[in-house]
Amino acid sequence: MWVAWSARTAALALLLGALHGAPTRGQEYDYYGWQAEPLHGRSYSKPPQCLDIPADLPLCHTVGYKRMRLPNLLEHESLAEVKQQASSWLPLLAKRCHSDTQVFLCSLFAPVCLDRPIYPCRSLCEAARAGCAPLMEAYGFPWPEMLHCHKFPLDNDLCIAVQFGHLPATAPPVTKICAQCEMEHSADGLMEQMCSSDFVVKMRIKEIKIDNGDRKLIGAQKKKKLLKAGPLKRKDTKKLVLHMKNGASCPCPQLDNLTGSFLVMGRKVEGQLLLTAVYRWDKKNKEMKFAVKFMFSYPCSLYYPFFYGAAEPH
Amino acid sequence: MNVPLGGIWLWLPLLLTWLTPEVSSSWWYMRATGGSSRVMCDNVPGLVSRQRQLCHRHPDVMRAIGLGVAEWTAECQHQFRQHRWNCNTLDRDHSLFGRVLLRSSRESAFVYAISSAGVVFAITRACSQGELKSCSCDPKKKGSAKDSKGTFDWGGCSDNIDYGIKFARAFVDAKERKGKDARALMNLHNNRAGRKAVKRFLKQECKCHGVSGSCTLRTCWLAMADFRKTGDYLWRKYNGAIQVVMNQDGTGFTVANKRFKKPTKNDLVYFENSPDYCIRDREAGSLGTAGRVCNLTSRGMDSCEVMCCGRGYDTSHVTRMTKCECKFHWCCAVRCQDCLEALDVHTCKAPKSADWATPT
Repeated sequence: MWVAWSARTAALALLLGALHGAPTRGQEYDYYGWQAEPLHGRSYSKPPQCLDIPADLPLCHTVGYKRMRLPNLLEHESLAEVKQQASSWLPLLAKRCHSDTQVFLCSLFAPVCLDRPIYPCRSLCEAARAGCAPLMEAYGFPWPEMLHCHKFPLDNDLCIAVQFGHLPATAPPVTKICAQCEMEHSADGLMEQMCSSDFVVKMRIKEIKIDNGDRKLIGAQKKKKLLKAGPLKRKDTKKLVLHMKNGASCPCPQLDNLTGSFLVMGRKVEGQLLLTAVYRWDKKNKEMKFAVKFMFSYPCSLYYPFFYGAAEPH
Repeated sequence: MNVPLGGIWLWLPLLLTWLTPEVSSSWWYMRATGGSSRVMCDNVPGLVSRQRQLCHRHPDVMRAIGLGVAEWTAECQHQFRQHRWNCNTLDRDHSLFGRVLLRSSRESAFVYAISSAGVVFAITRACSQGELKSCSCDPKKKGSAKDSKGTFDWGGCSDNIDYGIKFARAFVDAKERKGKDARALMNLHNNRAGRKAVKRFLKQECKCHGVSGSCTLRTCWLAMADFRKTGDYLWRKYNGAIQVVMNQDGTGFTVANKRFKKPTKNDLVYFENSPDYCIRDREAGSLGTAGRVCNLTSRGMDSCEVMCCGRGYDTSHVTRMTKCECKFHWCCAVRCQDCLEALDVHTCKAPKSADWATPT
């Protein structure tokens, strides 16, 4: 189970990281390491200690203060535990879904060292959640229980309030493209996406329906090719319905025109198929052809094979 | 008032003195004694042979028990903080505490229960901290299991409370099992109630290690709650303690007042009504309430009328500096203002001097 724990962390990092351009790829690999140190339940009467925030805790190394409290406010008791759990949040930070995401996460993972614990204010939590939860949900990851905002104090003088979220916008906000529609252009980028997806299908799309905040892609019956089956069974592919989480109101150039075939990647979460990436199928695109042809030769994360076992619903 | 925590072994004889009806001050001379556990065990007053045997075999457990004394005595003082008898001990005369225990009152019942609970707590915690050779985390808490939220792995360190209870029972009850009188049975009952109280607050705790902190992967363990919870529970039992008498054949209790319910295993039991603790009475172990702080606006036991036993109170005006209006500033400091706080402190009057001359 320890291995699956790390594998899923790696999977999320891959999933979110793969949506970035190639130049940032190298940094992401540093975060996939396995932390061999076992967990300890809790220590009796262990006084909190003050430590420098280490350089290899990139989530919080630049947060704005240098010393952190251990155990932290998530009851992580060793630096190894903090690093392991913090690593899966780096890709989210890189998405810049809210300007105070780092302040919020680090107030819990690497809380400032003072004579009393200082918690994030509830309003800070709610702002970060409003900005980032839709993105996490798009990939099938709910806002976790440990960050539920009711756990944090109503705003007062002794909690950490929104710091940068108040800054006036310097430009009118541009409507952001759907996360699932951001495109990789290199074969490597595509294969990274394929690694972190449960299944990959070449298919035609019959129609698109709006379902609350999601788009639903209804697959056509014909011309369907399962390139990577993953958890899909034959019966699953007969009638493919893909949910594009939080995709109802953002632009997606690939889906403006439904003629032709699409390369589609997704995850199966609680019986529902979630779209994670969509491309127009282009037989002349050499990068795409290469990625599809050599998908299974690509060196995915070492823990990738365990991902399926861990993800299978009981 | 905190119990001063001297050397580790200082508290062991103190604990045992309190746990035994005989009051002896010979433990004073052990303060200067250093060296081996053999010397310590053999010189502790009031130990029966079984206890001395356990002391020799498990010196590390004795150390844990000794260190735990401060915790349960502090809890006792917390619970009785608003009462005339406040579970206090004088630095120079610890036997005063012991005299209260000579009477089979509900205060004795509470002290036996809280001390027994304190021993369980101290041993179990020392187990989990890896300080005892003969035990460790609960060996049965391994592998996977299921609860209402799904499956989880046992991990961390589950408190081995069964070991703590078993050892505490063997050690603390050893003396009582030698006797068959009413007091021994009362002590056995209340000791057991105290041990069961700790187990009542053994709870499952979990950590979520799924992707992004989700609870799809959980590690759980069993942990004793803060000792305050046990203290609060036993306090409620003290308030509802049941007065009993020995039954005809001397094997158990029956209620002293037929209108009340029979005691369960969780109830505290006592035989004798308590003194009023109003005036100093060495024989009863009562310090009296002269000089105690009381609450003018309270209607409870700590009200000036009740605490001072109708003798009246003195008022003094006190000012003190406190930190106030604290604010957290990014990034990163907490800054406070200094405030001057003025308040009245009320203390109970001493009995009139004529009372001292009155023969008791």
